[in-house]
Amino acid sequence: MDAMTSAAAGADRAVRFTGSWREYLPIAATNVLLTIVTLGVYRFWATARQRRYLWSRTEVIGDRLEWSGTGKEMFIGFLMVMAVLIPFFLFIQFLFPALVARGKMAAASGIMMLFYIGLIYLGGFARFRALRYRLSRTYWRGIRGGSDEPGWNYGGEYLGRVALSLMTFWIVWPWAATRLWNGRWSHMSFGPLKFRTELDAEGLKGRWAAVYLVPMAAFAVAGVIAALIGLGSAMSGSEPNPTFFAIILGLFLAVYLIIPLMTLNWYAAFYRKAADALSLGDLEFGFDAGTWDWLKLFLGNIGLAIITLGFGISFWGYRNWAFMIRHFHLYGEVDASRLTQSTTHAPGEAEGFADAFDIGAL
Amino acid sequence: MRAVYYDGVTADRHDIDVELDGDWLIVGPDRVPLSELAVADEDKSRLLLSRPGSAGWRLILEQPIEPGFRARLPHPTRYGSWIDRIGLAKASLVLAGVAAGVLVIGYTAPAFIAPLVPESWERNLGTAMVGDFGDNACRNSAASRALAAMSRRIDPAASGRAPITLTLIDVGIFNAAALPGGQIVIFDGALRDTKNPDAMAGILAHEMAHVRRRHVTQALIRELGIGALIRLFAGDVGANAQQLVSLSYTRANEYEADGDAIGALARAKIDPRPTAELFRELDKDDGPDFAAAEFLNSHPASGDRAKRFAAAYRPGVTYTPVISAGDYKAMRDACPLKHDAEHEKEEAGKGK
Repeated sequence: MDAMTSAAAGADRAVRFTGSWREYLPIAATNVLLTIVTLGVYRFWATARQRRYLWSRTEVIGDRLEWSGTGKEMFIGFLMVMAVLIPFFLFIQFLFPALVARGKMAAASGIMMLFYIGLIYLGGFARFRALRYRLSRTYWRGIRGGSDEPGWNYGGEYLGRVALSLMTFWIVWPWAATRLWNGRWSHMSFGPLKFRTELDAEGLKGRWAAVYLVPMAAFAVAGVIAALIGLGSAMSGSEPNPTFFAIILGLFLAVYLIIPLMTLNWYAAFYRKAADALSLGDLEFGFDAGTWDWLKLFLGNIGLAIITLGFGISFWGYRNWAFMIRHFHLYGEVDASRLTQSTTHAPGEAEGFADAFDIGAL
Repeated sequence: MRAVYYDGVTADRHDIDVELDGDWLIVGPDRVPLSELAVADEDKSRLLLSRPGSAGWRLILEQPIEPGFRARLPHPTRYGSWIDRIGLAKASLVLAGVAAGVLVIGYTAPAFIAPLVPESWERNLGTAMVGDFGDNACRNSAASRALAAMSRRIDPAASGRAPITLTLIDVGIFNAAALPGGQIVIFDGALRDTKNPDAMAGILAHEMAHVRRRHVTQALIRELGIGALIRLFAGDVGANAQQLVSLSYTRANEYEADGDAIGALARAKIDPRPTAELFRELDKDDGPDFAAAEFLNSHPASGDRAKRFAAAYRPGVTYTPVISAGDYKAMRDACPLKHDAEHEKEEAGKGK
């Protein structure tokens, strides 16, 4: 038997996506149809079908991945989570206006504060559980992943780091985000192997500073141009003309475009570094998508949705997955005979929490 | 047949021969009953078999597979076991029928259920939800008397029916609303922008009709029932769909309430033209006054409403003002404007 399987064998990529949009089209079309006629209930089965296809068209070192999760378990998981959360939401929904109507503003804001703290905590918990669930349903050569951690601690860590980031206007986000990445992945495993990750903010600070500084610089330039034009029209004694306002408006819009672009620029670097820092046994990971690649992906998604009058949205999952796999790299060797079955507990609530908080796959 | 076998214990790949033997499949050294096998995936190039109960047990057979052997294995799940059994087309039709039924019942049921809900329940809920409005309520005895007089003229048969509580709220937006438990609130912004008491009577008559017709109860049931259900499962698409349907439904209620209000004004011999004039004004300025625009959003087009109220005017009738100008002034002066600087100082003084 081939105990050792090398990842970087020859010119072939160790990770490949072999799907085609023609093959996926019938899946997407029937998913849309069934989701509509079931008023959305089918979406859990649609997700399972989509993943079964995408996973089966993803080859890792010569063998295809397999998604073993089912729509039924995701549906039941979602109902379980909702049974817990809905009474809580309803309670807040009645309590808050009741307090406001009685003029008890302090109590009302206190309740809201607690509510948001709870939301952030559960949001972190949901992220952890979603990752753990996906690993536990991903099989490669009959072996799956998972985690022994339930994720309650991660929820606390997430709350703390997000709160600190909020208090510092997100300035400390590179430190928080990298440690949260470590906090999630270092508790994940595949077979008997634990993921290792030592991601730090080194090399990510400059791009994060740019998120603040580039818009400010653009703002300053806009101000200077506005002042010059204003001065010009004042000296000639005429009223500021409409083009003047058009230019100012354009510059302000540019600033609002610059912020998300600079954030994307940061995240591109973040995911490259994060993949580099991750390893599993003798396997090393890599990811090579640049800011421009991400931008093309997002613009492509939006463009596709527009020209297909919305139907293209059903292809976003396909495009996102293909994008991830095409930019993903794997180096090193797997000792197949030592890659034994995972002993982790597979979560029962599936992605219920992530669904409840609408946390996406990317 | 050649096959690749993973035992689910290690990731070792086993290239083996498999052979059919009656109801059994011989997999290398193992004999597996066919009834224990499931098809995890099937495409043009391969058949992936799994064995529920043995996690990770996988057998990969290359296509083409001998038809006789394939026929003895189950089909893989495609759309979902139930849909696979009856077929996609049939299942879609059945599901679409059920969905249509759920929507129709969901949106019509509140109108049937609302009158059956005891008013005392709604009153308790209303009290729990809004209470006495705390510091936001403008408490002024002259204004309260004027407001009571206005409501008596509009709804003289009120005695014997569930009482309606009227409250002036010290918030500077143009709005008036009916809340659960027979509560009607009039915002100070609406009072300030409505100079004619007869126009205010039109607004009040409209809100009172919402209470009498149990529209508030309907809205509550709709929100807690079908609205919650759709938002739960359908996400963004559903939210838009729900917005559309509930908006049109609300408009049906609004139309009915306008009809009742016109009837009430006519019985009380209150001139409907000031109300029409108010709607005409609202129709004109949809730009700067965003609060007014918000008020309009859930209501029918103001232009149409203006015409309807204007058409209710009868030249032969002697109309009398709903309340005296002095009483209406008391109403309009009831709220100590919070944005007033002097009032701010007063508030700060009270705090100490």
